[in-house]
Amino acid sequence: MTGRHTSQGRAHPPRLAEWVVRRAAGAELADNLLGDLAEQYAERLEAGAPRRDVQWWYWTEVFGLLRPSVIRGLRSDGPAARGDRKGFPTMLFQDLRFAWRAIRAHPSFAVMAVATIALGIAGTTTVFSAMDGFVLRPFPFPDQERLVTVGSAHPKVGGELTYFEHLSPAEYLDIKAAGSIEKVVAWDLGNRQVTVGETTENLFTAFWWGDAFGTIGLPPHFGRGFSRDEMDRGDRVAVISYRVWHDRFGADSSLVGGKMLVNGDPYTVIGIMAPRALVFGSDLWLPFPARPEMFPRDRRMLQVLGRLAPGVSMEAFGSELEVIARRTEAEHQAAMPEYAGWRLTPSTWADANIQQLKPAAIAMMGAIVFVMLLVCTNVATLLLGRSAARAREIALRGALGASRGRLLRQLLTESLLLSLLGAAGGVGLGYFGIQGINRVLGTLPVSLFSDLTLNGPVLLATVLVAVAAGLLFGTVPALQVIRSDLRGTLNTGAALGGTRSRLRVQRLLIGIEAALALTLLAGSGYLLRSLAAMRAIDPGFEPARVLTLRLTLARERYQPAAIEPFFHEVRERVGALPGVSAVASASQFPPNLYGRGEFSIEGNVAESEGARPFAYLTTASPEYFATLAIPLRRGRLLSPDDRAGGPLAVVVNDVVAARYFPGRDPVGQRVRVGKPDDPWAVIVGVVGATRNRGLDQEPAPEMFISSAQLPGSNNQMFLMVRTEADPRAVLGTIRGAVKAIDPGQPIYAVRTIEETYQQTQMARRLSVVVFTLFGGVALLIAVVGLYGVVSYATAQRTREIGVRVALGAARSAVTGLFVRQAMVPVLVGAGIGLIAAWAIGLMMASLLFQVKPGDVITLAGAAFLLIGAGIVASFVPAFGASRVDPVATLRQD
Amino acid sequence: MTTSASLGEFEHLVLLAAAHLGEDAYGVTVQREIRARTARAVSLGAVYATLARLEGKGYLRSWEGGASDKRGGRSKRFFVLRPAGIQALRAARQTLDRMWAGLELDARSGHSS
Repeated sequence: MTGRHTSQGRAHPPRLAEWVVRRAAGAELADNLLGDLAEQYAERLEAGAPRRDVQWWYWTEVFGLLRPSVIRGLRSDGPAARGDRKGFPTMLFQDLRFAWRAIRAHPSFAVMAVATIALGIAGTTTVFSAMDGFVLRPFPFPDQERLVTVGSAHPKVGGELTYFEHLSPAEYLDIKAAGSIEKVVAWDLGNRQVTVGETTENLFTAFWWGDAFGTIGLPPHFGRGFSRDEMDRGDRVAVISYRVWHDRFGADSSLVGGKMLVNGDPYTVIGIMAPRALVFGSDLWLPFPARPEMFPRDRRMLQVLGRLAPGVSMEAFGSELEVIARRTEAEHQAAMPEYAGWRLTPSTWADANIQQLKPAAIAMMGAIVFVMLLVCTNVATLLLGRSAARAREIALRGALGASRGRLLRQLLTESLLLSLLGAAGGVGLGYFGIQGINRVLGTLPVSLFSDLTLNGPVLLATVLVAVAAGLLFGTVPALQVIRSDLRGTLNTGAALGGTRSRLRVQRLLIGIEAALALTLLAGSGYLLRSLAAMRAIDPGFEPARVLTLRLTLARERYQPAAIEPFFHEVRERVGALPGVSAVASASQFPPNLYGRGEFSIEGNVAESEGARPFAYLTTASPEYFATLAIPLRRGRLLSPDDRAGGPLAVVVNDVVAARYFPGRDPVGQRVRVGKPDDPWAVIVGVVGATRNRGLDQEPAPEMFISSAQLPGSNNQMFLMVRTEADPRAVLGTIRGAVKAIDPGQPIYAVRTIEETYQQTQMARRLSVVVFTLFGGVALLIAVVGLYGVVSYATAQRTREIGVRVALGAARSAVTGLFVRQAMVPVLVGAGIGLIAAWAIGLMMASLLFQVKPGDVITLAGAAFLLIGAGIVASFVPAFGASRVDPVATLRQD
Repeated sequence: MTTSASLGEFEHLVLLAAAHLGEDAYGVTVQREIRARTARAVSLGAVYATLARLEGKGYLRSWEGGASDKRGGRSKRFFVLRPAGIQALRAARQTLDRMWAGLELDARSGHSS
């Protein structure tokens, strides 16, 4: 053997192709063959052909070698030897070529199979990745089971457990003393306008008091976290999120250590957070020493994060919290009655975060399972049909000497090729699906999570499932075909025995698909109707173009007497700004009401504990009703004449009137809020009730009193600004107005009322997207499957069709026959699907709004859609079959 | 050495090409010769297989030679006609001539006019 070497600088033919040749040809000839090929390769390059083309030619030549006759001749065991023994790679290439040819011979089947698999894989992976990003592993914090938060409930005045904006600095310190947690931090949320160079962004901001980075357990990506001193002093240092740094400030590493304007004040950026590390979607972290001296014990605006000490269980923590709660209750209940029965409940941070999304996540899990089932079913149906349609071809090849193993292997290769093509399509579609979801996320006012990425392991899992399904269902029919008498097929010319059972299996599968598709469509329908119903709800006021923001006056700078004048001046100045049509201040506003209490009605018998009248108690400026456009029903609204020292005037809403003053006019009645020696207040008016707990909840009783009459009671108020045009456009001037009064006064929690309402609907909106996506995919898959089944059925019965037409049957009758027969399993499946849809509705109950699980419109709509699609899917092939020329059909064997 | 009664069509072409090429017949040149004379693009693999088969039937003799850089250092396998091969060609020609004798094929009718 001469040594092999390429001269310097000469391009070498593709080595993989050379390897193929060596496997295909005998050792003797391989060398010569390779030499010839190399010679032509070089000559073509010299002639100036582009390298790509020459390589393509090389591969074509190599594939030309793989034909059985050629291979037989190339083997050194001589031409007379039966060329049956071939190396494995050779046979693999042969099978692949064969499979490719077979696929091209039946393109419509291939397209349907590939599409089904691709859709199934893409849909499943997209949704699972979304679930992973939202629910399973949304944040990269280490040891998430040890990262805890504390929720509180005030049964006496509110009763509901909440994890957000519920703790005062003093209460936080009570919790901090617990031995069960080793690191702890309190935080508040707000908004800040941040300017870096030319770019200004409004960032959702978290204000930390305590060991923020130590508790979260994730050091910054660049730079450092807050030092203890910086935290204690409240220095002007800032950490920003990875995504903002990357997307909006150009990932400029010189930002760390540089200056940044926060609401006009210079801050030093000391660090960039780790990627995907978000706490409630906040993009800016600032130190905020919220000392209890600055805020009274009942100013509850903080939430808490902590890490369980090693070896401490959640139950132990809960017990310790119980002790703390009882101690606080004992100490402070006299002055603050809301502490009666105060409950502190621990939870992992992850659980508290995703409460809203849990029902949606569970629903999505179910949907995923459904769709994968559908995919497998459809693939099975298609493969069943396909292999039987090619029965004669298989039988012929078997009769000509192909071994059964060989036939089986070739069919398997075909199935494998289709599955892999489908998988490739699925990966591509899945990628686009995730991009789509990210785009939807981007439209939400507060994005709690980083952009989603396609989950690798899940993608792999679905690909494997699809490939396995393809192989499995490719084998079963193949085995059936091969096991039966191959020669018998050729002789009789009739379809193989077992057709009837195959048809029955196919019909069963179609029925299952119909049921699954109907269920998913119904789920989608429920949610769409819920959203539509929500849209039709009248909130009871005019929420459009109202900007809200929160102002908290530091106690050490504002004496109680100075509070009301401050807010009064703010209202005056902001009201005078161009673009502002109305301003008001209030302690709370719909849909986020949290301050409620019990009251007594003069003349009513004192009710027992728990049965006393209660209402949300809102302290507001007189312009509140006009700003929000709340209608007056009886009496009068609050007015500037209701001043401190004068008789207390309150306005109640419809719910109070109906519930506590049935049959009589509340105006003129007297009520008392608080302790028995507090003064009575007179009800001076009744206003329309707003959807103050959210669009999907009934309006709650609410009572309003002028902030001027309770001076200094509330150092934290919301400002509501109704604007003529885009609310956020006025934000800058509002800040300016506040700054003109007090340069050091921050504004936060800037949001429009509409955004606040939308936030409460996030779970529902997400579910709608998922269910509609899945419902659509399911319908598509079922339609494709039905089309395949009917095609197969008509192909099997062409002779029968020919006979019928020849005997005078109208073509429409033939078409109708097949459509009717095809629709039977669809209808049965739809019936079962209706029952399943009702069950799904029960499970999704928390996501539905004004829609019952048995909602007729939804179920009827889904059924119509499915049946309609089914009729079309079966009509097309049936119609095509009916147009066959009976003479030609009958002449066939 | 086996003798086969008749030559397949492709075998025929390959043998004739080898005859034309004399001492210069190997895979590439045979392929080129056939393409030049018949405008048929045949694959190298088929040529090789046929050359091997013809050698097996005893019509061709082969030897190695002509290694070159261009071929990556690999040698060529040259084929030349053996007397048996020449015999087979002649016999095939005769057979065809006898079948053609007296035929004037008219494309329209199926038989001799």
